[in-house]
Amino acid sequence: MTTLFINDEEVTVSAGTSILEACREHGADVPYFCYHPELSVAANCRMCLVEVEGWNKPAASCCTPVGEGMKVTTHSESLAKDREMMMEYLLINHPLDCPVCDQGGSCKLQDYTVEHGAKHGRYSEVKRAVVDHDLGPFVSTCMTRCIHCTRCVRFADEVAGTGDMGVLNRADHMRIEGIVEDALESELSGNLADVCPVGALLDKPSHDVARPWEMTRHKSTCTQCPQGCDIVIESRGDKVIRIKPDKDGVEPWICDRGRYVHDAFRADQRIVAPAVREKSGLVNVSWDEAIQASVDVLKDKRVGIIFSPDWSVEGLASIRLLHDSVFKDAKVAFDLHRRDMREFAFEEGFSMSSAQIVAADQVVILGSDLRQRLPILMQGLRKRGNEGKPVTRIGAMNYRTNSDLSADALIRPREWVAVIARAMQQLKDLGKTAAGMDAWLEKVEERHEAGKLLADALLADSCALLVGEEIRSHSDASALIHGLDLMMRASGHAEAGADGRNLIPEGMNAQLLSAVFGDIRVSAGDLLDAASDGELDALVLIGSDPMGDGLFSMQAKRAMGKVPLVQIGAIAGQTSEFANVMLPAAAYSEVEGTFINMEGRIRMAEHPLRSLGEERPLWKVMMRLVQAFGEEIPVVNLTELRARIESFLPEVSGVWDDDVTDDECLLVARNRDANSMPNAIEPAMSLDVVSRYSMYREGMWVRASSYLVEAGDIHALDDLLVHPNTLKDAGLSAGECKVRTTSGDYDYHIGVREDVAEGVLFISKRGVAGDLSCEVMASLEGGQ
Amino acid sequence: MISSDPKQVKAICFDRIHLEGQTGLEVARKNGAYKFLPTVLKDFDSDHIVDEVKKSGLRGRGGAGFPTGLKWSFVPRNTGKPTYLLCNADEGEPGTFKDRDIMRFDPHLLIEGMIMAGFALGVKDAYIYIRGEFLHEANVMDAAIDEAYAANLLGENILGTDFSMNLTVHRGAGAYICGEETALIESLEGRPGRPRFKPPFPAVEGFYRCPTVVNNVETLATVPAILEFGGDWHAEIGVPNNTGMKIFSVSGHVNKPGNYEVPMGTSLKVLIEEYCGGLQHGTVPKVIIPGGSSTPWLTAEHYDTPLTYDAMMKAGSMLGSGAIIVMDETADLIALTRRLAHFYAHESCGQCTPCREGTGWLERTMNRVEAGQGCKKDVEVLNDAAEHMAGRTICALADGASAPILSLLKHFPEIVEERLMENAE
Ligand SMILES: Cc1cc2nc3c(=O)[nH]c(=O)nc-3n(C[C@H](O)[C@H](O)[C@H](O)COP(=O)(O)O)c2cc1C
Ligand code: SF4
Ligand code: SF4
Ligand code: SF4
Ligand code: FES
Repeated sequence: MTTLFINDEEVTVSAGTSILEACREHGADVPYFCYHPELSVAANCRMCLVEVEGWNKPAASCCTPVGEGMKVTTHSESLAKDREMMMEYLLINHPLDCPVCDQGGSCKLQDYTVEHGAKHGRYSEVKRAVVDHDLGPFVSTCMTRCIHCTRCVRFADEVAGTGDMGVLNRADHMRIEGIVEDALESELSGNLADVCPVGALLDKPSHDVARPWEMTRHKSTCTQCPQGCDIVIESRGDKVIRIKPDKDGVEPWICDRGRYVHDAFRADQRIVAPAVREKSGLVNVSWDEAIQASVDVLKDKRVGIIFSPDWSVEGLASIRLLHDSVFKDAKVAFDLHRRDMREFAFEEGFSMSSAQIVAADQVVILGSDLRQRLPILMQGLRKRGNEGKPVTRIGAMNYRTNSDLSADALIRPREWVAVIARAMQQLKDLGKTAAGMDAWLEKVEERHEAGKLLADALLADSCALLVGEEIRSHSDASALIHGLDLMMRASGHAEAGADGRNLIPEGMNAQLLSAVFGDIRVSAGDLLDAASDGELDALVLIGSDPMGDGLFSMQAKRAMGKVPLVQIGAIAGQTSEFANVMLPAAAYSEVEGTFINMEGRIRMAEHPLRSLGEERPLWKVMMRLVQAFGEEIPVVNLTELRARIESFLPEVSGVWDDDVTDDECLLVARNRDANSMPNAIEPAMSLDVVSRYSMYREGMWVRASSYLVEAGDIHALDDLLVHPNTLKDAGLSAGECKVRTTSGDYDYHIGVREDVAEGVLFISKRGVAGDLSCEVMASLEGGQ
Repeated sequence: MISSDPKQVKAICFDRIHLEGQTGLEVARKNGAYKFLPTVLKDFDSDHIVDEVKKSGLRGRGGAGFPTGLKWSFVPRNTGKPTYLLCNADEGEPGTFKDRDIMRFDPHLLIEGMIMAGFALGVKDAYIYIRGEFLHEANVMDAAIDEAYAANLLGENILGTDFSMNLTVHRGAGAYICGEETALIESLEGRPGRPRFKPPFPAVEGFYRCPTVVNNVETLATVPAILEFGGDWHAEIGVPNNTGMKIFSVSGHVNKPGNYEVPMGTSLKVLIEEYCGGLQHGTVPKVIIPGGSSTPWLTAEHYDTPLTYDAMMKAGSMLGSGAIIVMDETADLIALTRRLAHFYAHESCGQCTPCREGTGWLERTMNRVEAGQGCKKDVEVLNDAAEHMAGRTICALADGASAPILSLLKHFPEIVEERLMENAE
């Protein structure tokens, strides 16, 4: 620790802190442009000058470390003159077009000009004008306003890892340049507009739309992925203008998916009024009529319910209440990526916090396109990578991470079991074991060398496993996950009976879902098949779109039209054209409610936006249905509902009374004793199918957002990809090919890429080739 | 031959530059090059060498005058990282042309100095970062280095000892800023030459973030003599705290411009009148820029100042790199200042606000003033804009850019005044 004096006040900060940070910690106001707490120090704006006693010139506080006994002054006449001059230097070439600049009202340059600037400018020479760049759908530029602080360049290098912003030229010809083809490559690109302290980089979708002071800010939680970022929704009236990260939130950044999904809030696909299908199509009716129509469709029927995990905790719990009151025998599914439903398979979520993962000695990504799936966590791993800490990845595709991986192995899904066995063997040979490990190991004969990477990582003092979709959707998922748990125990990273790995869930609220629905859930694929096969009479979809999302679109297409459908939700997906009744439920931005992210972090949304039409919070819709079926309503208000939730999930008790802190993560008791053994799977066909989740395509909200659809098109890969050797082995070449599956033959365009593991058929565009996603294996049978 | 009597020393770095064929190894060796090197490599150890250099009082000849031995002693040992030695041969400061002569006429002296410095610092890889325009000098250096490798003076197990060192010449691309040591490091790493803020200093985190010593050509070329004759010997040349010989590149309105190696402490007037053949016009100079264009101007009043770091500081300027630019009464000081303003506006790397914007602003304002279109307000602007960039930026280029403007306004306000629009006839 170092003790120093800031404006005569004695303060103590940790050694090596910069003077600027010491000042910020202790409330001394020092102006700055180029400093950013999340980025490396550049020290180029020279706005942060302070005086240090005994030094003959002012010091840039952002790059000067504190010293013992140092006497720092942050305000003096000469500093005031320095700051006035810095403003004047910056403004000589600035266009001073605040009245037409989006940044006006939240601009550092503007604020400091008022605070530190001179009354008049003295510059009378020619001004600089700079060419703008087209950076794609999210960021617009007005480079003449740039003050060359290089925050954007450092963001692109250090956070995004894409390096697509750079500095060209020198002196006052120096230019910030976007080095892009169609668009910025980063999935975090929207943050650039926040990072830029002036109006040079701006949010394109909200460009020229609103002024900062016209907007109302609503703190909320993004439910577009299990990360559950803290967001602030900025709206003018009821119209959402933009979404930004919450400055007080856990993470400084949000991804483009969560940021730009907001135009979907007003998209045509929104369900804003109750509707019933007549011959002419869906017709808006009153709530009473629509509820009655639902009762007519569902009363005394064998019902299947598929819902989305992204509703609030209250909404999800009310689905269970509806089930228990009205549809006691109904099959329920909420996961569109799971095939293996044995125990453990639905024990999802993380056992570590993101901070613990980022700090671990070793991190292994198992079968996940983490940059797409959890962009913010991936950014944390990138940061640790920059510090030289290892990240290992094993999986079917060399997914772009924009950071260096320390070790990497391409494998095909059928090899997972041998990979795990190889790792287990290594642990066993070192005398590390756990109860049940020998039995697991005995079931597997093969060993795959990629397992060495896994075992080596597990042998570190701390190791985080991130288990992704390639394992979650595996037909032997439970056994694979159990195998990983056994190794976490054997290597001392988890207690006996605990797991220790981090299973990336499909959506939000994983902990609640496994606790509340564990006993009644089935695979969505099986549920849809049951509808097709006449084992169900009706379907209820609550915010889920199995035709558009996940692995079972083929089964969904088959089931639709076979049985009547009641759709409840905020937005309509592809399934909607089959709905007999539609009931509008309020969107995540429009409810008071509770959300749990993958780590078990609890968030309350308290200042919702107003709904567009006749939507009701989901729990009210559920209770209305219970009532319409003539059953007693289990809860009549949120307080009662929350009390009921505590009875399902005692771990949440107290959440609604006190302020919960970020460190208090919900850890749900898991199925300690479950143990799934590997099944011998006889590979019937030559290729393994791997279906990719795309952050720009997956989810009804995303597909209703024109911004994200545009980004999706820009970032798209070929529909189907294979390794060149896979084609060679089959004696084929890229182009139109016949894909043979257990359910039939299909013609598709096949692209080649060395990034795909050999023997894998990689579905990169589910929207086009989604029907193949339900397949586990396939083969290529030649061109047309 | 350098005399072992400090009072008799006529030259150190330039001792052999006039000798025929000195660039070739054979001749150079006959003339004494590398003679003392085996003793250094076999009998001296690192601490001893650093101590001798400290004792010698040698101060960096690149501009800042930082004590060389002290700089070397800052290099942390046993970090597990390599230590690098970089020779700053960028010689870009307007007025400076001394390093060039050492390299083109006596390249082996620099190589020998670098081997000795590298040995003292435990260096395996050393580089000479040479100004891009010095193509001939780079070729001479390269040829000399090739010969040195062939003679086992560089490379593995130099002269049969355990010490191995590689030496590579890297040509810059013509940017003045790449002479600033941290910009030089960035450039050598393959990035645009933009100075780094300090701390960390290069001695701790320099080339590839490893401990690095950057020294000027003249500094390194002085090392062989110091080790051969001893630190005390060197400390007796010149005056206390400003020891040794120093090369002055004299240009401007003198009769015999050129490089002169004289003992530190010689007076400016003696140098100009006795060595350089006096002024072209008149008896006292109007302006003397004593240490390269980046140093504040002196006027006739300081004509007698001794050529030492300390005396120049006291007179309000700096010894800098020893590039003395002399202006007699015929000089158009406004044109001079405008031209220098153009130089700095062109050479600023652009990262710091005051330097990026200020240098251009100064140049554009000077353009108008020179053309007789300036006004009173411009004088105030020139003063404010120059004053508030000095000492407030990452590197000292901004100080250099402000020096001519502030000197002009300080010493010759009436000349500026006369040229203003208001006062036009
Ligand atoms: C703008 C600028 C340009 C410089 N150019 C040179 C140069 O061309 N040659 C040089 O030796 N030092 C130059 N320096 C000084 C170096 O930064 C550094 O102080 C010097 O190389 C250290 O060597 P020394 O200790 O042997 O003098 C320059 C400094 C600045 C601020
Ligand atoms: S574009 Fe914005 S963030 Fe980037 S350098 Fe310019 S002012 Fe800074
Ligand atoms: S990372 Fe996930 S939770 Fe965060 S903003 Fe993006 S989609 Fe939303
Ligand atoms: S002072 Fe000028 S040259 Fe030096 S770092 Fe700053 S902008 Fe670059
Ligand atoms: S904040 Fe310190 S120089 Fe920019």
